[in-house]
Amino acid sequence: MARAFDKVAVSEERFGRALVAFVALGFGLLIAAAVAVGWNTVRTSQHTERVAHTQMVRQAIADLQVDLEQSETARRGYLLTGKPLFLTAYRTTGGVIPGRYRLIRQLVEDNPAQIARLDRIVPLLQRLTVLRAKSIAFGEAGRLTAAQREFSGDASVPLMRAIRYRLRAMASGEAALLAVRTAQQANAARLFYIMAGLASVLLAIVATLTLTVVVRNTRALTASRDDLRRLAGSLEDRVTERTADLAMANEEIQRFAYIVSHDLRSPLVNVMGFTAELEAAAAPLGELVTRAEAEAPQILTEEARLAAREDLPEALGFIRTSTAKMDRLINAILQLSRQGRRTLAPEPLDLVALCDTVIGAIRHVIDDRGVTATVVRPMPTMIADRVAVEQILSNLVENATKYLHPGRPGTVTLSARKHLGRIVISVADNGRGIDPRDHQRIFDLFRRSGTQDQPGEGIGLAHVRALAYRMGGTISVESALGEGATFHLTLPQDQTV
Amino acid sequence: MNAHGQPHRPVGIVMIEDDEGHARLIEKNIRRAGINNPIRHFTDGGTALRHLFEDVDGPAKNGPALVLLDLNLPDMSGTDILTRIKAEDSPLRRAPVVVLTTTDDKVEIQRCYDLGCNVYITKPVNYESFAQAIRQLGLFLSVIQVPEVE
Repeated sequence: MARAFDKVAVSEERFGRALVAFVALGFGLLIAAAVAVGWNTVRTSQHTERVAHTQMVRQAIADLQVDLEQSETARRGYLLTGKPLFLTAYRTTGGVIPGRYRLIRQLVEDNPAQIARLDRIVPLLQRLTVLRAKSIAFGEAGRLTAAQREFSGDASVPLMRAIRYRLRAMASGEAALLAVRTAQQANAARLFYIMAGLASVLLAIVATLTLTVVVRNTRALTASRDDLRRLAGSLEDRVTERTADLAMANEEIQRFAYIVSHDLRSPLVNVMGFTAELEAAAAPLGELVTRAEAEAPQILTEEARLAAREDLPEALGFIRTSTAKMDRLINAILQLSRQGRRTLAPEPLDLVALCDTVIGAIRHVIDDRGVTATVVRPMPTMIADRVAVEQILSNLVENATKYLHPGRPGTVTLSARKHLGRIVISVADNGRGIDPRDHQRIFDLFRRSGTQDQPGEGIGLAHVRALAYRMGGTISVESALGEGATFHLTLPQDQTV
Repeated sequence: MNAHGQPHRPVGIVMIEDDEGHARLIEKNIRRAGINNPIRHFTDGGTALRHLFEDVDGPAKNGPALVLLDLNLPDMSGTDILTRIKAEDSPLRRAPVVVLTTTDDKVEIQRCYDLGCNVYITKPVNYESFAQAIRQLGLFLSVIQVPEVE
């Protein structure tokens, strides 16, 4: 199931990645299209400019031609009639010819073919100008007949024809250029439309893809947000549920321990009671044996004597010590279960004072065993149940002074520090140490470690651990055989939180 | 003869105790203390209640009695019996009740006294002190006045 989900997720991821790549590619193409369209626009405007330029050249050539023809017509009119009106017309139209020529030259500067053609017109124009000036000068001098003779003999007519031919050549050159440029312009326009069309299609595709990606992502986000919300909700529910379960299980255990310890006591009362009755009954029997021994030894068998003198008292003795031990064990369970039911009352604790109190309370034991106890100052403050912390430390210190190394006087050091927002209280000794294999066991009820040369039921550390757990803390031990032991009690700094 | 003109009868002891051994030990020690009053023993709450309230020779119908009550019974809690005996309309509400149990839980002891128990004795495992307590109870029984049933 999980694997199937993974597969779906992987393929979805791949698809998503491909989509994003496509969108990125689309945007790239769009940018390229925009650049191309821009470039094309620039080119189109260049083409338009050129076309306009050609038109200007054509216009200038036509103007020059018109002025030439008009001035020629005016000159001829003047030479034929001698009327000053023609002279004025000749001067007006003839006067602009150099300007017209200069404009054309300027316009076709970049066109070597046209310049060459123009250069061929220049000498013709010069010769024409000289001829014209000569004939007009005759006319002005009042010698019209001489002027007419001069005109009929001069080369102005073929000159005009040559100039006309050359100018027409220039005009047709420009016309050819215009055709080329107009075609170019049209091409550019067509290209522009194609590009714009392509760009629009591309834009539509990219927009669709982008929208798809956005919608997909939004959907995925919404789905995962819903999932998260649902998960968070169910997690809270589960935590509450588990906490309730734990509290119930804990309560169950407490009740169980309580009931067991009580119900175990009941038969024990009988065992103890009837053992006492047995002892009471054994006493007269013993007296009887003594009397029989003295008065009628023949009726006393060795078996009866042994039974009354040794077997019976020995059996009773074992029953007594066993029941006494069982009573202590049951009391220990009872005490643990009581401890579990006690309400903890967290309060601000001065750990130094608390440690001093703990040591003071068992001072006589510590002194009897020749142990030096040290409290390392300063210690952090904390908020916890005073009785519980005292009981834990009291047990740990008592243990530290109990299991000494035979070769050296005992020392116990209590210290405390803050670590990761928790308080770690350490009780270190230089005693005989604990085998690492027993580091877990020693916290179990009725379990002990090492040589059993000290009194005890194996209850203290179980009690310590139960208390530590109840306060939301932990207890651990660091030790090696022969090298002392250090117990670390880790508790929340503020138990009320 | 007493004030009601009835013949004087010794105070009966009703022992409600499910553990036969405990019952035997209690009886032995009572006898050792010199108390010879008749003892009726019941091992469950139902039978005991029937005897207390309904039997012709039971305390409700026939004379004064003292109740020795164990709290842990198989069919009901001893406190239920205590509640019945000490109820407002109970003919036995003045009958002394001695609660005997292994519990030394303060809350439970308190509850028994609240319900009207007269004496509370825990059964210690230390037999001598238990025997001592029972014998003292015997002395106590020999001096108290058990009221007649109304």
